[in-house]
Amino acid sequence: MAGARAFGFKGCRKIGGSQIRNLLNAKDFFLFDCDGVIWHGEKAIIGAPKVVSSLIKHGKNVFFVTNNCTRPRENYVNKFYRLGFTDVMQEQIFSSSYCSALYLRDVAKVQGKVYVIGGEGVRNELLQAGIPFVGDEDAPDGTIFNCALASDVKAVLVGHDDKFTFLKLAKASCYLRDPDCLFLATDVDPWHPLQDGRILPGSGCLTSALEVATGRKAMVIGKPSPFMFECISSQFRVDPAQCLMVGDRLETDMLFGANCGLDTMLTLTGISQMKTAQEYRDSDHSANQSFVPDYVVDTIADFLPAFED
Amino acid sequence: MAVSKCTRLNGPLIKQMLDSVDSVLFDCDGVIWRGDQAIPGAPDVINLLKKNGKNVFFVTNNSTKTRKMYADKLALMGFNATEDEVFGTAYCSAMYLKNVSRLQGKVYLIGSNAMRQELEKVGIQQTGVGPDPISGVQIDWANVPLDPEVKAVVVGFDEHFSYMKLNRALQYLNNPDCLLVGTNTDTRLPLEGGKAVPGTGCILKAVETAAQRQAQTVGKPNHFMYDCVASQFSLDRTRCLMVGDRLDTDILLGSNCGLKTLLTLTGVSTVADAEAHQESGCPKRLGMVPDYYVESIAELLPALQG
Repeated sequence: MAGARAFGFKGCRKIGGSQIRNLLNAKDFFLFDCDGVIWHGEKAIIGAPKVVSSLIKHGKNVFFVTNNCTRPRENYVNKFYRLGFTDVMQEQIFSSSYCSALYLRDVAKVQGKVYVIGGEGVRNELLQAGIPFVGDEDAPDGTIFNCALASDVKAVLVGHDDKFTFLKLAKASCYLRDPDCLFLATDVDPWHPLQDGRILPGSGCLTSALEVATGRKAMVIGKPSPFMFECISSQFRVDPAQCLMVGDRLETDMLFGANCGLDTMLTLTGISQMKTAQEYRDSDHSANQSFVPDYVVDTIADFLPAFED
Repeated sequence: MAVSKCTRLNGPLIKQMLDSVDSVLFDCDGVIWRGDQAIPGAPDVINLLKKNGKNVFFVTNNSTKTRKMYADKLALMGFNATEDEVFGTAYCSAMYLKNVSRLQGKVYLIGSNAMRQELEKVGIQQTGVGPDPISGVQIDWANVPLDPEVKAVVVGFDEHFSYMKLNRALQYLNNPDCLLVGTNTDTRLPLEGGKAVPGTGCILKAVETAAQRQAQTVGKPNHFMYDCVASQFSLDRTRCLMVGDRLDTDILLGSNCGLKTLLTLTGVSTVADAEAHQESGCPKRLGMVPDYYVESIAELLPALQG
């Protein structure tokens, strides 16, 4: 399908058997989203741990690229181990919270404090990167009518925050009145599914509220922004042509892959459905092509037969 | 129909314009007061307009006060005004739900006590107003108990807005038959004392993002606020003037309803903003060009006193 690819038309093909084997042979780097791809909540997807360890055993480079900013990486390693992914090391895990800290430290080189709307996942990563921050639960007597602002805040970072309050929104928008104060978002996902299929509001809701308050657009760290791939590339020698991005959400994972020039695979164990991918493929808007995966599998466990030889 | 010209109103033009209208609709914040300070001369303008036989109404997107609270504030500041001349979004949202949505059921409310009171006045019960601190873990939040009588989520200004409230709204809105109504989309809310905080627009955007759908909004520039006034008083829209400080709410409402429009410069928008819309040539933006503008409504005084 090289000709069609040249025009930007993606295959959206469900593949199996020898097609998967050929693909696995052709690629050296496998980037996996986590939720809905290798696990659902606290349950590994059947076959997923074996897929990951087989890839590693076959000398492939495996990375995990997740917008989930609720845990620090050292915590993620524990989860991987607990769910049976025993070969995964911290260095392979790229979360939006970790990458936000990298951005602030290495790209923006922020001099001053960061005002954080977020939980332990984000704060811990900032701590580990040596970045001073404020945002601990508000002074009990602070109100929207007279909230005390910290001095020397040079960036605002918004992530998933179940302790979000209107006061935090008000404080953040005060800081962002200074055009030199950076405005970062870990990700813009509008909602997240839980194990049982119910959903919860995502970071995207809090970010959009702050964008409306300030009239400014946040710099997005997580997928579909390509920044997390730049983080991986800065630490490992990665050739985009050798990569396969595997995810379950068309608007984040597939778009991320397209933005980074990677081949993409949709697995149907998570959020997006084949029908939606086909609708994007068949739509008149050329921009929708970026949501379309190159390949589709029912589950990444479909890789397993390819390792038997 | 007059072409919006953005004309500086002065001299004999003021009296000419006033003679051509019977009713004047005023926005509040930035027009007749700033926080708790009346714009100098504003009370006299309103009182003289009434003395000259004009109808005067107050049309505000602010959802934090009931009509009665607004009437009290107006009286305190020297404006001769009655409760039924005030149209705030707390009141108008209740009217919208009752008369347009014909809501049969309860409301999950993200909003103020004023909104609760106005809803109760039209016989609509609500759940959710007030602080709502988070407890438990994710699975608890996704499974919050839902009141089966709730048929709409209504969003206004709420200083207690939190992740938990956002979550509850999302859980109700998972039902596609549950309505989503917002009081307004203003990005900032002016407070007493001249400060400003993020407005209802921010809260509404958070809810719309989570639920992946657009709210029906009641406030300016939606024509409903004008319809509300017109349904209670007989108005000839060709003899109505809308006075406001925001091009994207007040002036646009006026244009949408075929009213004459007057921009006052004591609030948010500037003449440069108006001229930019005028020069854009974009049909959507032309509705934001006022017919006239003044530095302050106090400039109407000489014509009213004379």
